[in-house]
Amino acid sequence: MSGCTDIRCRLNLYLDNELQGDERVEFEHHLRECQSCRSVAQAEKRFLDTFRSAEPLYIASPELTSRVRSVLHFPDSDTADAAGTSRSLRKHRVIATIAAAALLLLLLPILIWRAREREPRSSASSFALMAADAHLRHIRGQLPLEMMSTEPREVSEWFVNKVDFRVKIPNYQEAPGLEKLYTMEGARLVAYKNDYAAYVAYQMNDHPISLVITSDSVGQTSGGEEIKAKGLVFHYNAIHGLKVLTWSDRGLTYALVSDLEERGQKSCVVCHQDIKEQDFIAPLKPR
Amino acid sequence: MPTTAFNEEALTHIDALFGYAMTLTRNRTEAEDLVQETYVRGARAANQLAAESNLKSWLFVVMRNAWLNQLRHQNKGPRFVGLEDEDSFDPASPAEENSNPQVVYIRKIERTQIRTALESLPEAYREVIVLRDIEGLTYQEIATVLDCPAGTVMSRLARAREKLRTLLNGRETKTRFKAV
Repeated sequence: MSGCTDIRCRLNLYLDNELQGDERVEFEHHLRECQSCRSVAQAEKRFLDTFRSAEPLYIASPELTSRVRSVLHFPDSDTADAAGTSRSLRKHRVIATIAAAALLLLLLPILIWRAREREPRSSASSFALMAADAHLRHIRGQLPLEMMSTEPREVSEWFVNKVDFRVKIPNYQEAPGLEKLYTMEGARLVAYKNDYAAYVAYQMNDHPISLVITSDSVGQTSGGEEIKAKGLVFHYNAIHGLKVLTWSDRGLTYALVSDLEERGQKSCVVCHQDIKEQDFIAPLKPR
Repeated sequence: MPTTAFNEEALTHIDALFGYAMTLTRNRTEAEDLVQETYVRGARAANQLAAESNLKSWLFVVMRNAWLNQLRHQNKGPRFVGLEDEDSFDPASPAEENSNPQVVYIRKIERTQIRTALESLPEAYREVIVLRDIEGLTYQEIATVLDCPAGTVMSRLARAREKLRTLLNGRETKTRFKAV
């Protein structure tokens, strides 16, 4: 049997899963027999778990993700031109490109006229893009929740001292007789503009809903379709097939992301379930 | 590896790559540029990657080579220097049994403090901790990324953890956090 000194020499190898076969069996046998080494191993494992469980330490911004997507889906000409591309194929490509350019020139006045006819809509704000990206990554399992709770009070308390603003998640389901339309899952922090934003995850009839909150000095709500309701200005965007509503109120900026129908106004129920507040949601429905 | 499969799988490692880029550069803008450069190089070389390869580990290699290449062009030279007596490190020094109260304290430390402590480590230590404890690479994979023997990975990792333990023990709990 290995001595304690030898065992402790190989402790890191064991905890890093680098000991295999007989070595591992022998090591574990010693741990079962030796209380002292077992304590040391447990303490070291707890220490490693502390920072291993802290990942991801960094989160790529939505802007970077977007840049990389462009790189991967639209590689530069060197990459696009595979080594085996024949000269004749290249020649055909050149002809096709010239033809496409000529067609574009012919159609350009019509395209400009049609674009002017449409209501002008600017692109989504970076906050809306970040919220949509966080939502997608969460449902893909790439953005796990840091705390799990169905209690709004617990989630609100969890954010204390973690973000620079006060997060108060309302609990409208406390009222008796109200049907439970949604379930809160938990929360985490997400990086936004060199700071943290609050991320809260919900489920409604198997549809995930994400609520992202930041300070209105950090998150802007410009862009998209503007909808005015109850003294607030909502910005609606369709991003990656998701419905994203952003607005600012009392010092905070919110983004609500879902795949619900129309403008995703049903997702507003996570904060406004009371029937009296349904008129608050009505203006968000498409006319 | 086919391009479509590469693109889909490679994108799932963007946070890990950004974390490693931050480890190398300590600068958000430089890190973002390095991540983009890594994907450009990766996409070009994807057809050389065997199907059974560990893509994340391979992307780390691509990133480190891209970064070293950048440093060479900037006439800066690698910054992995200054480790004290790495080769003379005695891996026989085990964790002390009486470290339990410290471990209990460390468990209470928030993610941001861990990150701050990691950023205080010498670069070579930080790099090996990130690759092993955050990204979960094996010793051999780390050795490939760092282009050094697996034994060096083992001794450097043990030293890095001891240093991190010291840093975490000496840090006061902060009430306000900032993301990097």
